[in-house]
Amino acid sequence: MLLVTALASIFSVIAVYYAIMEKNLVRAVVFSAIQSTIYAFIYYMLMAPDIVLVYIPVAVGLYPAVILILISKTEKVEKQ
Amino acid sequence: MKHVLGLIIILLFIIGFSLVLTVAGNYILPSQEIRSLAKYYLYLAYNPWHRNFTVMSPEAVTSIVWDFRGLDTVFETAVFYLAIIGSIALGRGIVKYSKPSGKLGLSLIVKTVTRISAVMIIAVAASIALHGHLTPGGGFQGGATAAVAPLLILIIFSHYYLLEKGVTKDLMLFLRSLGLTGIGIVAIIVYLMALPQGIHAYVLQNQPKPDSSIGLPAYIDGQLISGTLWFFNISEFFAVMAGFTIVFLLITIPERAFKKEEEVERQ
Repeated sequence: MLLVTALASIFSVIAVYYAIMEKNLVRAVVFSAIQSTIYAFIYYMLMAPDIVLVYIPVAVGLYPAVILILISKTEKVEKQ
Repeated sequence: MKHVLGLIIILLFIIGFSLVLTVAGNYILPSQEIRSLAKYYLYLAYNPWHRNFTVMSPEAVTSIVWDFRGLDTVFETAVFYLAIIGSIALGRGIVKYSKPSGKLGLSLIVKTVTRISAVMIIAVAASIALHGHLTPGGGFQGGATAAVAPLLILIIFSHYYLLEKGVTKDLMLFLRSLGLTGIGIVAIIVYLMALPQGIHAYVLQNQPKPDSSIGLPAYIDGQLISGTLWFFNISEFFAVMAGFTIVFLLITIPERAFKKEEEVERQ
């Protein structure tokens, strides 16, 4: 159980790395949402179902959607 | 800069992974013993044999959030309310904008799927909020889940569809204020009940306490409602759901609604 959680957290680090390095902002939000999904899974593994229930709608649903709406009002690709 | 950041993250990754492999098993594993404060919380969350101390809710997290540390949660809700007020202040001075002609929103398939799933989302959210004192969940969780439904409708059907259906900023602000007023009233309801009887009671009191024999009933018609917890959860549900919906309504306002005002100012 602990090993699965540790592996999930390592995958979340990879997702965070891609979310930071990605120049295409829409893709970066998708990577961020993947990281949130893994975090929700980790919370479930750590037996915190209350946090899972608030994390799934906020971090997987509402937050990426809000960021996507904001990106649609600006530019899709980050410039140097 | 790009490479330095990448390098730091990769190094942290390698160090962290090595730590897990070598020493974590000995040092970082959480203790198997429950701390004494946690023992009291678990012992008193639902305990009909200690009616002067218990919350009468089998959900320990909700017991802590709305009873043992209820004042924190009231202030959290107040902070969230102020944040929404701030975003409404940012979206002030919007001129009336008309609905653009032509077809709005995404395809018919997506719209049909959303028609079904939005109802299901609301049902799940209501279940999370109303059973918050029995199973994991509560007012904030339910409210955040319910807010996904108006967000889906906003994106898939368009901003104007929601406004035409009557879900306006003013209605949501009313619901939100109603929720917050509900929380305020439930926080002092036991005190108000005790006042005519000449008994003293506390703010945010739920069940009877050793020096205050009054409290809200834990059961209504045989159903466990855990006194104030059920009312807190339903008030919080409306407050959070309406609060998020206001923000979504504000950020999907088309930019021309703001531009028009600037043009008027220039003239």
